[in-house]
Amino acid sequence: MKGYHLGELEELVLLIVGILNQEAYGVSVVEEIKGQTGRKVNISAIHTVLNRLEEKGLLTSAMGGATEERGGRRKRLFSLSASGRAAINEVKEVRNRLYDQLPPLALDFSHG
Amino acid sequence: MDKNRTYYPPKLADRFLEFYCLPELLEQIQGDAYEIFYMDLEGKGLAYARWRYIFHVFSFFKWRNIGLSKFMNQKSTNGAMIKSYFKIGWRNILKQKGTTFISVFGLSCAVGCCIVAYLFIANIWFKGLNQPHKDEIYQLVYSAEEAEGMVTYGTVAEPIAELIPDNLNQVKNQTQVLLEFPLLIQNNESFYQRSLYVDPSYMEMFEYRMDFGYPGALNESDQVILTKQLSEKLFGDMHPIGQELALVVNGEERLYKVGGVLADLKDMDMFTFDLLVNLESHPNIKPDIPLKDTWSRELWTFIQVEGEADLARIDSELAEFTQIQNQVNPDKPYAKMGLIPYPEIIYNVGKIQRGVRDFLGIGPQILLGTIGLFILLLAVFNYINLSVLMASKRLKEIGVRKVIGSKRGQLIFQFLSENLLICFFAIFLGCLMAGFIFLPGFNEIASKNLQIDLLRDKNIWIFLGGMLLAITLISGLYPATYLSSFKPISILKGNQKIGSKSGFTSVLLSFQFTLAIISMVAGIAFVQTNYINAQRDWGYSSDDKIIVNVPESKDYIPLKNKLSALSSVVEVSGSQDYVGSWIREKEVFLGDDKYEVNFLTAEANYPEMMDLELKQGRMFNPELITDTQESILVNQTFLDQVGLDFPFEQEVSIDSVDFRVVGVVDDFHTTFFSNSIEPMVIRASPDTTFNYLTLRMNPGSAEGSMESVKKIWHETVPRGFFDGKLQTEVFEREIADVNGITRLILFSATLSVILALLGLFGLVSLNMAAHIKDYCIRKVFGANVGDLSKKLLKRYVIIWGAAAVVGTVVSSFLISTFLDSFFAFHSGVGIVPIGSALLVLFGLIIGTVASQIWKVIKANPAVILKSE
Repeated sequence: MKGYHLGELEELVLLIVGILNQEAYGVSVVEEIKGQTGRKVNISAIHTVLNRLEEKGLLTSAMGGATEERGGRRKRLFSLSASGRAAINEVKEVRNRLYDQLPPLALDFSHG
Repeated sequence: MDKNRTYYPPKLADRFLEFYCLPELLEQIQGDAYEIFYMDLEGKGLAYARWRYIFHVFSFFKWRNIGLSKFMNQKSTNGAMIKSYFKIGWRNILKQKGTTFISVFGLSCAVGCCIVAYLFIANIWFKGLNQPHKDEIYQLVYSAEEAEGMVTYGTVAEPIAELIPDNLNQVKNQTQVLLEFPLLIQNNESFYQRSLYVDPSYMEMFEYRMDFGYPGALNESDQVILTKQLSEKLFGDMHPIGQELALVVNGEERLYKVGGVLADLKDMDMFTFDLLVNLESHPNIKPDIPLKDTWSRELWTFIQVEGEADLARIDSELAEFTQIQNQVNPDKPYAKMGLIPYPEIIYNVGKIQRGVRDFLGIGPQILLGTIGLFILLLAVFNYINLSVLMASKRLKEIGVRKVIGSKRGQLIFQFLSENLLICFFAIFLGCLMAGFIFLPGFNEIASKNLQIDLLRDKNIWIFLGGMLLAITLISGLYPATYLSSFKPISILKGNQKIGSKSGFTSVLLSFQFTLAIISMVAGIAFVQTNYINAQRDWGYSSDDKIIVNVPESKDYIPLKNKLSALSSVVEVSGSQDYVGSWIREKEVFLGDDKYEVNFLTAEANYPEMMDLELKQGRMFNPELITDTQESILVNQTFLDQVGLDFPFEQEVSIDSVDFRVVGVVDDFHTTFFSNSIEPMVIRASPDTTFNYLTLRMNPGSAEGSMESVKKIWHETVPRGFFDGKLQTEVFEREIADVNGITRLILFSATLSVILALLGLFGLVSLNMAAHIKDYCIRKVFGANVGDLSKKLLKRYVIIWGAAAVVGTVVSSFLISTFLDSFFAFHSGVGIVPIGSALLVLFGLIIGTVASQIWKVIKANPAVILKSE
C-alpha cells in the first residue's frame, strides 16, 4: 500500500493549511495552531515543515500579500495540492480504521 | 500601527539574518520575523519583541536556510581570477625581459638605498625601544631657574636614588647610570672606553641578550659586563669570562673580572657604551664624604614603576625630594622634579640638558632621506615611462578584454597585479642589495653597525610592506588608469596612439634628468671642495712635528726632558691645547668691548716653532721674561674683528690682566675646514707644565721616530693612554669623515645617473622599435645619419635643455646650502660642477641615441620593410 508518511506536526500543519484556505503562511499557521489547539510552535519549525511538505508535493505555494508590518516583504502563501488533500484523507481513513478496531469499553476489566 | 513604525527589529540580528540566509528564502523568513516582531511589540513591549526577534534569527539559522555556500563559490572564482591576473602578469614580465630588468634593477637599487636610509633614521628614532619594559621606565629630571630661563636637566642629585625606595610608592626597580671614560688597562695595553657605572638592578630593568655569562654578574661589585665588540677587541677568540682588566678613574686603579658579554647590540641600545660596571666600585661613590658634596653630584636616575602606577601621585611625591634637595643645597635650588617616559627621551633631545641623548644629527638624516627619495623617484619614473610604452604592445589585449566584458576596474587590477609582482621582486632584491652591498659599505663609511634584522625588528616589516604598497600604487596607478581608459573600438581599429610623445613622459624624463644633474653637481662639487681643501694652506707648517699628550702634570717635566734627549728632536714646546684641535674659548676685553676668542696658551717658543706666519710686529722672545707677563699675539681675524690696525696702544684685558699685542700672525686653521677661523689670542704662559708637548724633529724623521717617542712615553708614564700623532695627521678623522660623505654622494650620483640613463635607454629603444619602419623609409629615400639623428635627438635635447635650466637653478641653491652646512671653506657651486654635470648628461644622451641610430644604420631596410 502506498502511504503518506506524515509526522505528527506535518499532519497538523497540513490540516491547518487546508483550514486557512489561501491565507496560510508562516505566521498565520503558527497563530492558527495556537488558536485551535493551544500549542505554541516555533516559527522556524513551521517554516521547516512547510518547506518539507512542499518538497513532498503536498503543498503548493505562491508569493503574495506584502504588508506594512512585514517591512514590505511578501508572504509565501501555501495551499493544499491534490495529493495533499489525498494525504489528509488517507491519514484520516487510517486513523478511523484503527480507531474502529479499538475493543469496546464494555470489555474493560475495571468494570468486572 | 503607525507608532510601531518608529521601532525596528535589532539591526545586528537583522543583518546577520541577511548575511546567512539563502536569498530565495530570505524574503519570507524575514517577513515572518518582522511580522512577529510587530505583533510582539504590540502585545508585550519592545524589549520582549527584540529579544524574540533575536531568538528567531538564531532559530532560523539552520542548514537548509543557510546560503553561505554562495560566498564560497564567489571566493573560489575570485581566487581563480587573481591567479589568472598573476599568471598573465608573470608571462608579460617574462616576455619583456629587457625592460623588466631595467625596472627591477632600478627599483631594487632604490629600495636598497631607502632601506639604508630608513635603517639609519630608524636607528636614531627607535633606538632602545626594543626594551620589553620600556613603558614602565621613567627618567628622573629636574628643572631649575637659570640665567637664560628655565632649564631642564636629565641628571638628578645622587642621594635621591637612596630616597626612592622609602618615599616613592609603586616603584619596582631603580638604577643610577653614570657615564665615565676610564682608562681600561688590560695586558699592558690601555684604551679609553665608554663605561656605564650602573646599579645591578640595571640589568633587570633593561634586558640584554648575553653571549657569555649572565645578567646578574653585576651583583658582584668586582665584575664587569662587556659588549661583544669590546670583548673581541680585548680577548679575541679567548673565552672572556673570568679575564681580568683594570679601570682607572681619577687616578685610582681598580681590578675587575669579566662577568658577562652582551650579544651584539647592533647600535640599537639607548645608551652607548663599551662596558657596564657596578656603580659601587666607582671611586667617587664613598660613604664618608660630606652630605652636601654628595648632593651636588648628579647622575642619570631611572625608575621602573608598576604596571598601573599613578604618575600624578609619583609626581607629588617627587615634590618632597625637591624640598629635601633645596634644604641641603640651597645654592642650587630645583624648581621642580619630573619624570620623562623612557620612550619619549628621544623627543626631548634639545629640551633637556645633560640628557641620555643630546644629539639627533638631523643633517645626515635629511641627506640620506633625500638620496633615498631621489633614487626612488628616478626608479619609479623609469618604471612609469617604460610600462606605458611597453603597454603599446598590449593594446589589442586591452581592446579584446574590454569587448569581452572586462570592467575597467578589472583591467586596472590586471596592471596593478603585474606591478605588484615587479615591486615584490624589487623589494626582495633590494633587501639583498642593501644587506650585502649597500649596508656594509655604508657602515664602513659612517662607522655604524646597521643591520637588517628581519627576525627581531617588527618595524622593518612594516616599512617593507609600506614600501611595497606605496611603490606599487605610485608607479602603477597612472599607467593602469591611463591604459585602461582607451576605447576598445579605437584600439581594435588601430587608431589608438599610445603616449610615447605624451607630455607626461617628457615631464617625467626631464624630472629624472634634473635629479641626475643635481646629484652629479653635488658629487662634483664635493670632490672639487675636497681637492681644493687638500691643497689649502693650513697657515703653518705641519711637517716634521709630533704632538704627544701629557696625562698628568707630574709627568710633564720628566717627559719633556727625556724627549728632548732624543737625537732626532730639534725643539720641544708645551701648550695647553695644540694647533689642529679644539682650542678653549675665553672672553677678552678691549676697552669696554667684549670679544669671544680662541685662547691658546703655550710656551713662548711655540708660535715660532709651529712656523706660524708673522704678518706684523714680532714673535715672542723666550729670553724676555716680560713676554710671559704682558705680551700676546693675535691672528688677522682678531684684528679684523676689533677693527684696529697694528700697532695699537690699547691693551687687551684677559681675566683683568692687561696685555699688549706684540705681533700679528696670519690666519691658520686650528680646526678643520668645516669651521671658520675664529679670532685668536696666543699667550706665552709662564707655567711650567702643559697638557701637550709638540716636538720638532729633524726634517723627514717625524714618522720614523714615532715608535721611539711612544716607547719613551710609556717608560715615563707607565699607566696612561698614549695619544701621540703627527701634526700632519691632526685632521685625519675629519678628512676621513668628509671622504666618507663624498663617497656616499658620489655613489648616489653614479646610481642616479645610471638609473636616468637606463630609463632613457629604455625609452629611446622602445621608441625606435615602434618607429623603425619610419626610419627605414627615410633611409631608403636618402636620409643620412645626420638627418636621422637629428630627428631622434631633437626631443631629448629639448628635455635636456629644460632639465639643465631647472637643475642649474635648483642645484646652485640646494647644493651650496648643503656645502655650507658641511664646510666653512668650500669651492661653491661654480661653473665646474654644473658645467661638467651638464656635459656628462649631454654626452650620455648622445651616446644612447647614437647606439640606436647605429641600429638603423646597420639594419637592412629591405628586411624590415618587408616584414609585417
